[in-house]
Amino acid sequence: MEKIILQQPQNETPETGVPQIFSEAVTQPAFKKFFLEIYSITIFTLRFLKEVLKPPFEINELAKQSFLIGYGSLPLIGITGFIIGLVLTIQSRPTLAKFGAESWLPAMVAVSIIREIGPVITALIFAGKVGSGIGAELASMNVTEQIDAMQVSNSNPFKYLVVTRVLSATLMLPILVVFADAIALSGSFAGVNLKGHISGYLFFSQIFQSLEFKDLFPAFIKTFLFGFAIGLVGSYKGYNSNKGTEGVGKAANSAVVFASLMVFIIDMIAVQITSLFQN
Amino acid sequence: MTSNLTSIKTKLEETQNGHFVLRMEHINKSFGNNTVLRDINLIINKGENLVILGKSGTGKSVLIKCIVGLIEPDDGKLIIFGRNIFELREKDLIEVRKKIGFLFQSSALYDSMTVRENLEFPLKRQFDKIPKENINMLVKEALQNVGLAEAIDIMPSELSGGMRKRVGLARTLILKPEIMLYDEPTTGLDPITSKEISNLILEVQKKFNTSSIIITHDIECARLTANRIIVMKDGVCCAEGTYTDLENSPDVFVRAFFE
Repeated sequence: MEKIILQQPQNETPETGVPQIFSEAVTQPAFKKFFLEIYSITIFTLRFLKEVLKPPFEINELAKQSFLIGYGSLPLIGITGFIIGLVLTIQSRPTLAKFGAESWLPAMVAVSIIREIGPVITALIFAGKVGSGIGAELASMNVTEQIDAMQVSNSNPFKYLVVTRVLSATLMLPILVVFADAIALSGSFAGVNLKGHISGYLFFSQIFQSLEFKDLFPAFIKTFLFGFAIGLVGSYKGYNSNKGTEGVGKAANSAVVFASLMVFIIDMIAVQITSLFQN
Repeated sequence: MTSNLTSIKTKLEETQNGHFVLRMEHINKSFGNNTVLRDINLIINKGENLVILGKSGTGKSVLIKCIVGLIEPDDGKLIIFGRNIFELREKDLIEVRKKIGFLFQSSALYDSMTVRENLEFPLKRQFDKIPKENINMLVKEALQNVGLAEAIDIMPSELSGGMRKRVGLARTLILKPEIMLYDEPTTGLDPITSKEISNLILEVQKKFNTSSIIITHDIECARLTANRIIVMKDGVCCAEGTYTDLENSPDVFVRAFFE
C-alpha cells in the first residue's frame, strides 16, 4: 500500500526536502509499530509474571530446557571464554609493559573479564545461540499449528513453552558466565605464559587479591537480567511470529538483534546503578 | 434456496427436540477490511457428519477455529451442548472444550516428542494424577484405533503424511471428544491414503458416535463421509443438502465441485 503511495506525485516538505507523502508513509507506521511492539512485549512480560507463579508447574520441561540450554551451550561458551582470556592478555601486555606495570596483568585481565567482558560476551553468544534457537523453535511450532494444537487440547502453551524457556535462560546464563569467566582466566594464564613464566599459584593468588565483592556481586546479578531478557525476547518473537516459513527466519533474526540490544541496554543501566552505590 | 430453508427449518425443529450438539447463529468475522464470515447459521446434530465444501480462502478453516476458540468471532452466538460459549466463564469454557476434538490440516504433531509422548501430552494435562499404567493402556488403545500400534516410539519426522494424520487423530480421540472438527483431513495425501483417512472418519463416527464437521475441498472425501454438505462461497453458506442434492444442484458454482 505504501509503495503505491510513493509512486504518486509528491509534494516536498519545506524543512527537509523529503517528499511529504514519503515521510508520512515511512515514519508514521514505523513509529506506531515501535510503540505497538513495546506495548505488546510489556503485555507478554506481565503474562509471564502471572503464569510463572500459577500452578501447575512444568518441572520436567523446565529441567529438560535447562539441560538443553545450559549443557548445550557449554562447548561454545568454553571455547569463546578461553580465546577472550588469551587474546585480552596478549593485547594488554605491550601497553602495560610500556608503563612497567606488567605485573598488574593478571589483576587487570581478571577485573575486566569478571566485571564486564565475561558477562557481556557470554550473554551476546547466548543471545545468538539460545535466543535465536528459542525464536526459531517457537515460530516453527506456530507455523505448523503445534501451539494451536496445545491450546485446543486444553493445555496452556504459554506456560509449557514460554515460562519454561524464559526461566531456563534466566537460571542457566549466570552459571554459564561463571564457567566462561573461569575458562577465560585459564586462557589468560596461558597467555601470560606465552611470553614469560608465572606459576599457577601466583597468577591466581594475584587475581583473588585484586577482586572484591563489589566486582563479583553486580556482575553476577546482571547476568540473571541478561538471561531473562534473552529468553523473553526469543520467546516473544517466536510465539508471536507471522505464519509462513518467512516468519521463522524473521523471528530467529529479530530475536538475536533485539536480545543483543537488550543486553547492552541492561548493561548500561546496571553499570549506572552499580556506580551510584559504589560512590 | 427453498431446499436450504426447509433444511434449516427441519434442523431447528430437531434442535427444539434436543438433537443438536452445536448451533451457530449469525456468526461474523472480519480481519481488518476483509470480511471472512458473513452471517453464518448452522446446526450439527448428534452423530452427524457435516461436510463444509468451498474454495480455498472462503473462510472454512476460520469457521471451525471459531468453534474451538482459536479465533474469536466479531458477533453471533455459538451454542454447544445447550450453552452459549461466548457467555461462559473460563472454567466452564474449558469443560465444553474438553468435548471437542480438532484434527489440524498439518496434523500439528509435536516435533520434539515421540508418538507416545504426543498422545500422553493432552492426557496428562487433562486428568490430574492419572496412573502410568492407565496412560499406557489409553495410548496403545488410541493407536490401535487408527491402526498404528507399531509406531508408538517413533518420532513424527519419521512418519509419512498419512501416518501423521492418523497419529493426529489418535491424539484427538484419546480424550474421547463428542464433537470432531477435521480441517482438510485429506489435503496433500495420495488417493489411496485419502480414502483410508475418509474411512477412518466414518469408523470414528460409528464407533464413538461423534458429531463431526469436516472441512474439505476433496469431493471424494465428502462423498464418503458426509451425511449433509454445506457449500461456502465468499464467507457465506450458499447451499446445503445431501451429496445427491448438491450433485444435481442448478447452481453452476455448486455443481462445479462435483464435476
